[in-house]
Amino acid sequence: MRTPTRRQISVFAFVLVLLLLYPLFVKGSFPLHVMIMVFLFAMLGVAWNIMGGYAGMFSFGQAAFFGIGAYTSSYLLTTYHVSPWIGLLAGGVLAALAAAAIGIPCSNLRGHYFAIASIAFAEIVRIHFNNWKLVGAAEGLTLPILGQSFRNFEFHSSKVPYYYILLGFLILSLLVCTWVSTSRMGFYFRALKESHDLAKVVGINFVRYRLAAIMISAFLTAMAGTFYAQYILYLDPDSVLILPISVQVVLVAMLGGAGSIMGPVIGAAILLPISEGTRVWLGPKGTGIDMVVYGTLIMLISAYHPQGVWGLFSRIGRGKA
Amino acid sequence: MGNITRRSFLIGGSALAVSAWMVPPVWGAPKTIKIGGLYPLTGNLASTGLDCRRGAELAVEIINGKYDLNLPLAKTEGLPNLGGAKIEMVWADTKGEPKNGQAEAERVVTQDGVVGVIGAYQSSVTKTASQATERLGIPYVCSDSSSPTLTERGLKYFFRVSPHDGIFAHDQFNFLKDLERVKKQKVQTVALLYENTEFGSNVGKQEQKYAQEYGYKAVEDISYTANATDVTSEVGRLIKANPDVLMHASYITDAILFTKTFKEMGFNPKGMLTMAGYIEPGYLPAVKADGDYFIVRSTFALDLAKSKPLVGKVNELFKKKFGIDMSENAARSFTAPFVFADAINRAKTTEAEAVVKALLETSIPGDQVIYPWKGVKFDPQSHQNIYATGTLVQVQNQQYVTVWPFESAAKDLVWPFPAWKSRK
Amino acid sequence: MGGGVLQQVVNSLLIGSVYSLVAIGLTLIWGVMNIINFAHGDFLMVGMFIAFWFYTLLHLDPVFSIPICAAVLFILGGLIYRFIVSKVMGGPLLAQLVVTFGVSIFLANLAVMLWTPDFRLIEKPLLSGTWSLGTVQLSIPKFAASLGSVLVSAGVFLFLKRTKTGKAILAVEMNRESALLIGINTDRINALSFGIGSALVGIAGAFLAMYYYIYPQVGGLFGLISFCIVALGGFGSIEGAFIAGILIGFVQTLGGYYFDPAYKYALVFLVYLITVWIRPQGLLGW
Repeated sequence: MRTPTRRQISVFAFVLVLLLLYPLFVKGSFPLHVMIMVFLFAMLGVAWNIMGGYAGMFSFGQAAFFGIGAYTSSYLLTTYHVSPWIGLLAGGVLAALAAAAIGIPCSNLRGHYFAIASIAFAEIVRIHFNNWKLVGAAEGLTLPILGQSFRNFEFHSSKVPYYYILLGFLILSLLVCTWVSTSRMGFYFRALKESHDLAKVVGINFVRYRLAAIMISAFLTAMAGTFYAQYILYLDPDSVLILPISVQVVLVAMLGGAGSIMGPVIGAAILLPISEGTRVWLGPKGTGIDMVVYGTLIMLISAYHPQGVWGLFSRIGRGKA
Repeated sequence: MGNITRRSFLIGGSALAVSAWMVPPVWGAPKTIKIGGLYPLTGNLASTGLDCRRGAELAVEIINGKYDLNLPLAKTEGLPNLGGAKIEMVWADTKGEPKNGQAEAERVVTQDGVVGVIGAYQSSVTKTASQATERLGIPYVCSDSSSPTLTERGLKYFFRVSPHDGIFAHDQFNFLKDLERVKKQKVQTVALLYENTEFGSNVGKQEQKYAQEYGYKAVEDISYTANATDVTSEVGRLIKANPDVLMHASYITDAILFTKTFKEMGFNPKGMLTMAGYIEPGYLPAVKADGDYFIVRSTFALDLAKSKPLVGKVNELFKKKFGIDMSENAARSFTAPFVFADAINRAKTTEAEAVVKALLETSIPGDQVIYPWKGVKFDPQSHQNIYATGTLVQVQNQQYVTVWPFESAAKDLVWPFPAWKSRK
Repeated sequence: MGGGVLQQVVNSLLIGSVYSLVAIGLTLIWGVMNIINFAHGDFLMVGMFIAFWFYTLLHLDPVFSIPICAAVLFILGGLIYRFIVSKVMGGPLLAQLVVTFGVSIFLANLAVMLWTPDFRLIEKPLLSGTWSLGTVQLSIPKFAASLGSVLVSAGVFLFLKRTKTGKAILAVEMNRESALLIGINTDRINALSFGIGSALVGIAGAFLAMYYYIYPQVGGLFGLISFCIVALGGFGSIEGAFIAGILIGFVQTLGGYYFDPAYKYALVFLVYLITVWIRPQGLLGW
């Protein structure tokens, strides 16, 4: 994805205005919740994209960073009454450090091995948190219900402030992703994405850039984790550290178009309403058909149109491909 | 010109129709009282969710219809103080995830207009769902989640009817004391074995506490993964520790796996005291005779019908409607709708504050519940039903029979646990 | 009574060989096509269900279902290769990684739709019970699975080294381009390997069904562990998968016995991570 065309920017601006106005017209708690889930996974997908779609490190363990972010800010809040905003930064930093710790030894691993290593890493984190008494082990952490305010990062009478905050986070992530993509780092990634040998020959300090990508990705993912904690006000290992979350992040990015800035946003906009909607309408019948449809969709997209939806869109801005 | 007038008429007309539909009627008593039911209707625990739902469905049918049963509001159709208004359940699928608990609770309240919520089986989901209803100011009556922490949060709108794991753990140790006193069987050491999600680890904590309080030595304390591929290490450690009694908190999958491994490796303590998984409807069909002589905590047992005919009658209705006997899960979820209906009826309105006040004044007598309780009465602080107790049942000939408290036992306890090798 | 270290060693060997049996099909597929089949655990689940239904409906003991499970899974694998996986060969790596996740979600939830999430157990298989050998209790079905594992591994090994098709598979494993050059139809080899790999895990399913409970999500943990085993042993290496499986069996069992059962799987994953850092190609890979 090169620098966006003017047409694409205007489409983006138009959509942004719609999103900003959405809560003024749609008041229901459930539709707002769906949009918040869309933003959440869009953000996670964008963060994943930085290390996956761009730097070619396909992580299937993002839940580890999501959980580290959520747990860090929640633990600091419940035990030391630290503001969740500071906890947000702390979680991001811890996640970035964890990413570096795992990223350095794994920097030589190729595609499949890296993917499995990321799963192994995330599972170790999950199992540990599940047994770690300090953070509540399997019981998790319950956040205190404080008066609603921006400072407390809690809102009770309406979801609208959560909506705008997360939209802000998402835009921030998109800006970071754009910066990565259009910077020298992004250039190197694009040129050398799947050829590690070439990278060595050319002699660029590829490892350093990959590490930066992993750390940025982890930081943003952890931010999303803190948001989740403040939104639900309760977390346990099974809500934030499980493999299905990591997989959903990858699916969102891939469906929308990995390696494109807006791809994950589109992917989330499609997958999350399907996921929430099928649960609400098909769920109570209890047959699991929603997931069958979901799985089929993924198979078909990967097999027959792997460049994702964005692959279709990006032609619009440029005329005939 | 004509087009525009017609179009604007259509738009205006439909807007009017839609808004009329959205505005709730402000006159007259409600004809239906909507209650939200949150359960894992899909996902891993779908069969349990379905179980719970059946129990609640039967309860609602009894309330809405005219039945000659000694249950609150059974003999009248609907709620008499609200003009015979009937209960309508709005079911929501949580898929067993806490975030869905919150989303679904909010959805059924704000979009479907339910005036109360029941559910959600898994304590972690009940936690977030009831947090949502607290924020929205809607009463929540839970009769199927057993984590003690649920009633330790100081919530105003949350009530729990059924016993919690602290009570169940306490029961186990009371049983051991009774065993010594009445049956003259002494127990000195226990081993604690529990799966490592919130349910199991909470039970483990409670058991550690009571073991110390009652003076029993915990010679082993093992937390394990519920869906393990193999549990030979865990059982190996138990054999090595050689406890008098094993206390096991598990789900159904680990109950099955451990039962088989106990037999395979020959683990023979004097007694097996278990929770949850061993009383799931799928356990005995899976392990058959190997399940014999396990003792399980229970709120409900079919043989209660001997001392309480009401239980038998309710089970008959259940069997007629669903084709199977009532399970413990169905029995637990059966109660919440009654508690709600009784409170709303006394409050004479569905308005939240009045309902909460009525719930606090709940006093359902013991002969109107299908458990061996003294009734339903909520502690004013914690909102836990102070009369909720458990019993212990033992599997004998692949049936669950009540063996404790000894006074209400249907059959004699088999103790010690017959060694695997000595059985057929 | 089955206490003591010797028992745990025996258990390690038993569960380890079960793992090897499960992983062997995966390493074949991975070696030949460089694709991780993330639905591997779900193929195992299908094998288990086949054994279960043949037992329940036709009273056929799992021992005799083994060839049936192999055949059905061979066909299933072939179909999935032909219509889904073959389309991503040569495509973006991400698509290759994700496509089998899609298959996994699809299969697991199709099983929920068809057979409900309830847990099933084969109650009285021919191979059941325990042998007492001194202080050691030997589970008969697990022992049978271990024997099966050895036989299957040996069988596949010989197949690859001695038969013409087998050698063609090996050739493709080693060097795809060269294999093409000498006229091997790599697409057909791919399909065959996917089919054989699936058949092998079907056999594993039949054995596992003799003592483990069966339900739609049963593939999850077994699948994860298989990936670690295959990567640990070195992708494509049958001997590697066999040894790695046993090794993981020891890590899990002894780790659980001596260290902490709550962490036994964390130990498995940790061993995997450490090995792969030190030797990225696995123990016996190239």
